[in-house]
Amino acid sequence: MQRRDFLRNLGVGAAGAVILPSVSFAADAPKPKGSNVLSYKDALKAVTGGKTAEVSAKVNLKVPEIAENGAVVPVTVEIDYPMTDSNYVKAIHVLTEKNANSRCIDVHLSPANGKAMLATRVKLGETQEIVAIAELSNGTFLMASQSVKVTIGGCG
Amino acid sequence: MAKRKSLIKIKPKSYKDGEVVKVSFMVMHPMETGLRKDKKTKELIPAEYIKKVVFEYKGKVITTMNVWETLSVNPVFTTYMKIDGAGELKVIFTDSKGEVQETVAKIKPKG
Repeated sequence: MQRRDFLRNLGVGAAGAVILPSVSFAADAPKPKGSNVLSYKDALKAVTGGKTAEVSAKVNLKVPEIAENGAVVPVTVEIDYPMTDSNYVKAIHVLTEKNANSRCIDVHLSPANGKAMLATRVKLGETQEIVAIAELSNGTFLMASQSVKVTIGGCG
Repeated sequence: MAKRKSLIKIKPKSYKDGEVVKVSFMVMHPMETGLRKDKKTKELIPAEYIKKVVFEYKGKVITTMNVWETLSVNPVFTTYMKIDGAGELKVIFTDSKGEVQETVAKIKPKG
């Protein structure tokens, strides 16, 4: 959609382009994107609803420092928090900083889980930070992040 | 559509009532992002990914996962659960094409 808009603007602004010296259009041309495009900022807002997430050592995020293959990056999130009926981890969210779609997975837990933990594997397009956000039953958010160096990108 | 290969793994293999065990759900799924191009035809491969995974134990939903295309091919979902008597553990996934599949594991605590 963005590309289409860009081309339309190009047609409208063609007269202007003649007068102006060749502006670097190539730099403005957006990259091809998938059906779900969500920047990290928007994703963070969608997760926390505008609240600030506090950086906490209770969120234990385990990712490799260097991932040779960006297509398969193991991610483990463990939260050091009790899982009782009245006080538990409601959800774990995993976000990436630079992927076209910033969201990876949301896990909605219940006290029946016994322990707040999630392990999965994600795709990373480039070297970036992985962010894990834990939503507690009392409405607060805890987060942890770690950067992963990607040798070969795994998206697109 | 043909059934996708899927598996539920519980660790440790033998467990008691009240124990907290690790549950892994694996499924063979392409997880296409919609960004990749076919090498021969140079056309984009349409997106196809798992959207939702639900863990149901004894008819009660214990965990719901919302998933996006940024997970790897043949994804694995691991979490914990508390054993609370014998029953069925169902894992149901829905993908972006509307495909729904159920995998069942029997929970049999010892002692």
